[in-house]
Amino acid sequence: MDYIHNSIFSRWITGIIQNRKAVTGVCIIFLFIFLAVFGPFITQDPTAFLSTPLSPPSWEHWLGTNGQGQDVLAQTISGARQTLLVGFTTGIMVVLIGALIGGISGYYGGRIDDILSLLINVFLVMPGLPLMVILASWLPPGPATLTGVLVLTGWAWNARVIRSQMMTFRSRDFVSAAIVSGERNIRIIVIEIMPRMLSLLASSFIGASIYAIGAQVGLEFLGLGDVSTITWGTNLYWASNDMALLTGSWWTFVPTGLSIAIVSFALTLINFGIDEVTNPRLISERVWRENIPKDKAVNGITPVVKDHE
Amino acid sequence: MNNSVLSIRNLSVSYITAGDPVYAVQDVSFDIQQGEIFGLVGESGSGKSTMVQAILRTLPPPAVITGGKVIIDNKDILSISNTEVLQYRWKEISIVMQSALNALNPVLTIREQIKDVLEIHSDLTGKDVDNRIHELLSLIDIDVSRLDSYPHQLSGGMRQRVVIAIALALMPPLIIMDEPTTALDVIVEREILAKIIELRKELGFTILFITHDLNLLLEFADRLAIMRNGKLIELGQAQKIRAGGEHSYTKKLIGALPSASGTRKKGILSKPKNRDFGSKPLLEVQNLSKSFPVSGFFRPKLIKAVKDVSFQIFPGEIVALVGESGSGKSTIAKLITLLLRPTAGNIHFKNARIRVSEARRVPLEYRRQVQMIFQDPFGSLNSVHTVYHHLARPLLRHRLIQKDVLFDHIVDLLENVDLCPGAMFAEKFPHEMSGGERQRVAIARALSLGPDLIVADEPTSMLDVSIRMEILEILAQMRIKKNLSIIFITHDLASARYLADRIIVLQHGSIVEQGLAEDLIQSPEKTYTKQLVKAASPGWLKSLSFDNNTKEKDVNNV
Repeated sequence: MDYIHNSIFSRWITGIIQNRKAVTGVCIIFLFIFLAVFGPFITQDPTAFLSTPLSPPSWEHWLGTNGQGQDVLAQTISGARQTLLVGFTTGIMVVLIGALIGGISGYYGGRIDDILSLLINVFLVMPGLPLMVILASWLPPGPATLTGVLVLTGWAWNARVIRSQMMTFRSRDFVSAAIVSGERNIRIIVIEIMPRMLSLLASSFIGASIYAIGAQVGLEFLGLGDVSTITWGTNLYWASNDMALLTGSWWTFVPTGLSIAIVSFALTLINFGIDEVTNPRLISERVWRENIPKDKAVNGITPVVKDHE
Repeated sequence: MNNSVLSIRNLSVSYITAGDPVYAVQDVSFDIQQGEIFGLVGESGSGKSTMVQAILRTLPPPAVITGGKVIIDNKDILSISNTEVLQYRWKEISIVMQSALNALNPVLTIREQIKDVLEIHSDLTGKDVDNRIHELLSLIDIDVSRLDSYPHQLSGGMRQRVVIAIALALMPPLIIMDEPTTALDVIVEREILAKIIELRKELGFTILFITHDLNLLLEFADRLAIMRNGKLIELGQAQKIRAGGEHSYTKKLIGALPSASGTRKKGILSKPKNRDFGSKPLLEVQNLSKSFPVSGFFRPKLIKAVKDVSFQIFPGEIVALVGESGSGKSTIAKLITLLLRPTAGNIHFKNARIRVSEARRVPLEYRRQVQMIFQDPFGSLNSVHTVYHHLARPLLRHRLIQKDVLFDHIVDLLENVDLCPGAMFAEKFPHEMSGGERQRVAIARALSLGPDLIVADEPTSMLDVSIRMEILEILAQMRIKKNLSIIFITHDLASARYLADRIIVLQHGSIVEQGLAEDLIQSPEKTYTKQLVKAASPGWLKSLSFDNNTKEKDVNNV
């Protein structure tokens, strides 16, 4: 399978590996996933009441303790588990549903598109935040509920984007050629078109994950999650409940808040990386800028750089 | 040297990449004399457009000019400051680009766009600006009432005239024309060129004319330069080049395409010995019509792309559908391959009737027997799959071949279309091949199923001139070897004349005239066919009178 080295995907993968932004982002995300999976085995028990409530960082408790006297470091690390799980699961489901409904709608067109577009539009105009709040307070709290609510309110935008991308591919000659050769529609969608949409799907996944983490933390902060579990959202909920700001005990909310910010930042970096790798124009312009004197890189006027002057 | 308007000395341009730089223009030198039409010819990748943009210094990143001089009016454009560059653009040199639709701003009226240039670059104000705009419009024969139209309300030819008017606005001594007529239909193209030459006589500016079409330039250029792979390989008087030139590549370009008129040359494209195709048609099209709904704000309109078209094609025959853009020829191709459903009419294939009202599923057997070759080989192959995938899928889908001999069979298919060694090409991706190689893969794919009918939709129009005949020759040979029928769709009368047995001329979705290829070329009956033949013949420029009877009609609200 020698030829695989030249495929567009292997070029993307090498591109991603060589892209500083993407590599930084991926490393950060892997670090968090690693901590989320293995961290709780090393840290102290996050649910145990260990020390004086709201004691500042010390040797026993590196990040201090919260209002219940629980270890903040342990809570932050084990909070990553559910938060990241719900975030990435939502991301995957949003992309899958978006690809399915948007893809079918854009590919078949006609009446199928009319019906599915209507469905997409209905979900788009629904006010997402109030609906999320109502559903989350009405359904039994827990990670499954959270995922369900986030997917329900978040899939439509992705479906819309994928539908329009599918429509442009649908009219391309390579799709017509596949139809003329007798290929089945489902195979055309999956084998011929979907690989061409890979960069869109990847960045949709990342965008949806960022959205899911933010929205989930928001809901839990409002007390709409299961407050008996430990997540980044409930950490913040308890910190606020214990009036952390008033008492000046910053260590109870800064670690969690910083974690959320760093994860979102890392995901955004990966998104930038994918964009740079799959959009050759961005790469070539960067190489160009690196290779000519700064004062000559002017917009709209081709630089003159003579070798022997 | 003293009366040259532009001197280029050892100009070199590179594109910076992550690997080695691409040397797009290498050490090119020439002078353009006052008042002449200087033609620059080259195929895709020859560096001709790069060079032109380097003269204006409008090349976008990652381009860098790496050496040489561009002297205009005793000034080297490559060593002046950036502010001076902006001043010399349009005042000293203006440019007419290929696509008028891209060159014009869709949200501004014609008046605003011309005014824009005049206000930025000249001292004219108020009434003087309006006077100048009216003057310019009368030069290009567009009525003043059109001034408040938007670009999309004008026809392609009118848009290109407006772009020429904007180029003339400041009366620069030199106008660069970069493929100004390539996007236009042939009759309109001829009118625009006649207009350009008339204007030059009147106003005396110099023209640098860039095109891939050497035969076109031979009609009116004074001197010619030919570029290939970034280098200037030939430079000389037009007569000398018409006589054959010196470089072998020049000779190849001149001989590349046959002409649509004059006596028929022998030995171009293989022909079958037996030209009797029987009396039982392979495909019969009856009263075929297709309308597309165009949603209007209050009342939806119907555009009739194909109107009541009937014709037959017999086994082993090649029929050319010739027409300009908007003639409905590509729509007919899609109707026959059932990519579109007709609004009315029937298609009979091997006496089986395909009804308009038929279920949405097309019989798999029809898919095997009717294949299509598309215009753009960059678009008809999927960039994420190898050549092997493109050829293997149809064969597997139709269960025509056992898996264990599949690879060898594909190698054979590739070598049949002169892609040797086939095993190497099988593993390539589309982006690793040239346009001609890609089109051969597309032909191999169409042939792989052993079809009876191939619909070829402008299979050569996106390819370089020098390889077009090779591609047509493959089609000609396959017809003989496999007794294929081919519906050859083209706007180029000359290639239709030599490849096809019969020609059907289409205009506005209807058949204008049809007949045996040579008869139709030699003695066309209808006015439209006569115009087409005349426009495609050498010497058309001299025969084209500047009276107004061939003027194109205004097209309102397309």
